[in-house]
Amino acid sequence: MAKDGYTKVKRMTPAMRIIHWVNVISMIVAVATGLYIAAPYYQTLIAEPAVDKYVMAWNRWGHFIVAIIFDVTSIIVAYLFFFSRFEKPYKKILPTGKNIKEFVEVFMNLITLNRRKNFDSSHSDSFNTVYFTIFHLLLAWMLFTGLQMYVHGLASGESSIGAWWPAMLHLVTDWTIPVSGWMVGSGPTPSIMDVRISHHITMWLIITWVVFHIYYQVWRTIFWQEGDIAIVVGGTKFVKSDEKK
Amino acid sequence: MGMDKQESVKKLFTAQSAKVDTNRGDAYYEALYAKCQERLDALKKLTPLNNRRDFMTTIEDEGLERRDFLKWASATTAMLMLPASFTPLVAEAATLMNRVPVIWIELSDCAGNSEALLRSDGPKIDEIILDIISLEFHETLQAASGHQAEKQMEEAMEHFKGKYLLFVEGAVPLGMDGQFGTIGAKGETFVDHLHRAAEGAAAVVAVGSCATYGGIPAAAPNPTDAVGVMDVVKGKPIINIPACPANPSNMVGVILHFVLTGSIPELDSLLRPKFAFGYRIHDNCERRAHFDAGEYVEEWGDEGAKNNFCLYKMGCKGPMTFNNCSIIRYNEGVNWPIGVGRGCIGCSEPDFWDKYAYERPMANANIKAPTGGVEKTVDQFGLGLLTAAGIGIGIHAAASAIAGKKEHEKEEA
Repeated sequence: MAKDGYTKVKRMTPAMRIIHWVNVISMIVAVATGLYIAAPYYQTLIAEPAVDKYVMAWNRWGHFIVAIIFDVTSIIVAYLFFFSRFEKPYKKILPTGKNIKEFVEVFMNLITLNRRKNFDSSHSDSFNTVYFTIFHLLLAWMLFTGLQMYVHGLASGESSIGAWWPAMLHLVTDWTIPVSGWMVGSGPTPSIMDVRISHHITMWLIITWVVFHIYYQVWRTIFWQEGDIAIVVGGTKFVKSDEKK
Repeated sequence: MGMDKQESVKKLFTAQSAKVDTNRGDAYYEALYAKCQERLDALKKLTPLNNRRDFMTTIEDEGLERRDFLKWASATTAMLMLPASFTPLVAEAATLMNRVPVIWIELSDCAGNSEALLRSDGPKIDEIILDIISLEFHETLQAASGHQAEKQMEEAMEHFKGKYLLFVEGAVPLGMDGQFGTIGAKGETFVDHLHRAAEGAAAVVAVGSCATYGGIPAAAPNPTDAVGVMDVVKGKPIINIPACPANPSNMVGVILHFVLTGSIPELDSLLRPKFAFGYRIHDNCERRAHFDAGEYVEEWGDEGAKNNFCLYKMGCKGPMTFNNCSIIRYNEGVNWPIGVGRGCIGCSEPDFWDKYAYERPMANANIKAPTGGVEKTVDQFGLGLLTAAGIGIGIHAAASAIAGKKEHEKEEA
């Protein structure tokens, strides 16, 4: 029940919250295993025979499993982005006058340390939606570059689920080689190492993204006093009744 | 560089799949067999261009037996991904190698690929075959020099117009109108030299990483603006045989394929023959089990090194390198880099000197920022980014705590 003078507003559906926490766990696993795959940072017991430990193999297995989970949640998120019955986020990133004004106002609110707040904070705002869209674009880039590196191990063109799988992966991810070469700065011929470098740098961009995301949600909760941090757990927040339009 | 990036973007979505089709069905191989036989019969009618001695006599003179030759023929048939029934054809093609004229030119290079096939511990069959091919022109090996050499090249190009294979070793410097490299009595630039030699060639074979992608001359900061042959020569079939040096077995494989079928082998998106560059080193590495187990050499000469542990942490680039040296090795199977206990440096991949050969895992190696100048490891770059974000957040949080307005404060005010 909402306190007097406050109205409860629904902000995230159960599906959105489940996806959020699945993504959180997946990302922690992906970073921990990914850092090991990039440069193994702990040693295994020498006394154990090789068949018993399988440390890199398990790290790679874990990395691939969370990658597949990310694939699935990304497809769902991409679908909801345009077709959600609850809220269609794409409407908030279109460069309309209203969205640009809201984006600027929310940003001003952040840099004026909440001294200025000229927007309706009851619904998902344009600033946050743009920020989340950037995250999903980074994530999509990770998925395409990751699958490109994955298909290198399927050089025979065969896989346990058929030849269509590596063929499709090549079709869908080979473009990441020239694009990575372009981003990383390559010589005349882009190299598959560019894809690796780009994948690794993008991990750091995502971690940086997460750090600001957590900070900003906590900051909103403290300064707006509307219980924003609860959205991702209970799905709702509270806004003052007179502010709700 | 800007133009190269545009080229790269143009190649977007046009890259060929690296898929290697090792079994194309009986009908395909029967047709190919008939075609090869026809081609060999035609070649047999030609007179040898040089080395008119019987092939087997040459082999025996080098102290090898017919049995060695037949073993080599079946191994080479397998390497070319042909069925075992092709072995007699491959053996026959080898004896007819002196019917195909080859012109070999050197540009920005160290002659390492020529050295690789000349300086082996004892002549192997691959090297003997490269010795008896009809090498019409080779700047390092020939006795002629100056005007005489140029005349010889002109004659060879004229005489075998449209028939010869052009082997190119070394990168093509394009900076300063190509003046970084000139050759011959007339001071012809490398790029003009290449264009002239390529014009009448049946196909151009770029040997080594320099000829393929620019290699070491093209390493940062690439002062001579060096590029590979495929960036310069257009409208000719090009086959790349990268690696530093290129494996003589793969050179012979390409020539044999040409002798046998009259066509170039199936190529991947980097124009490398799939029979040699279709697989990752990593997937056929003898130390792969140690990779999966997480058993790594931590420093040179440690217990792991003594136990042949995986060299990944010493910077081995086998997982990102496509080449067949983990299968066929060098010097007819004697050994190869990982076999002697040092990591792969990815010498058959583009930009290998800058992006593969730093002997550390990629995350710990210095990488140039796209803007040039700054050289930091990927992780240092990432941690720097994170630190900057942390400082920004810290300032914002502190400022908010001191001067920020909470909703209820506003109410009270």
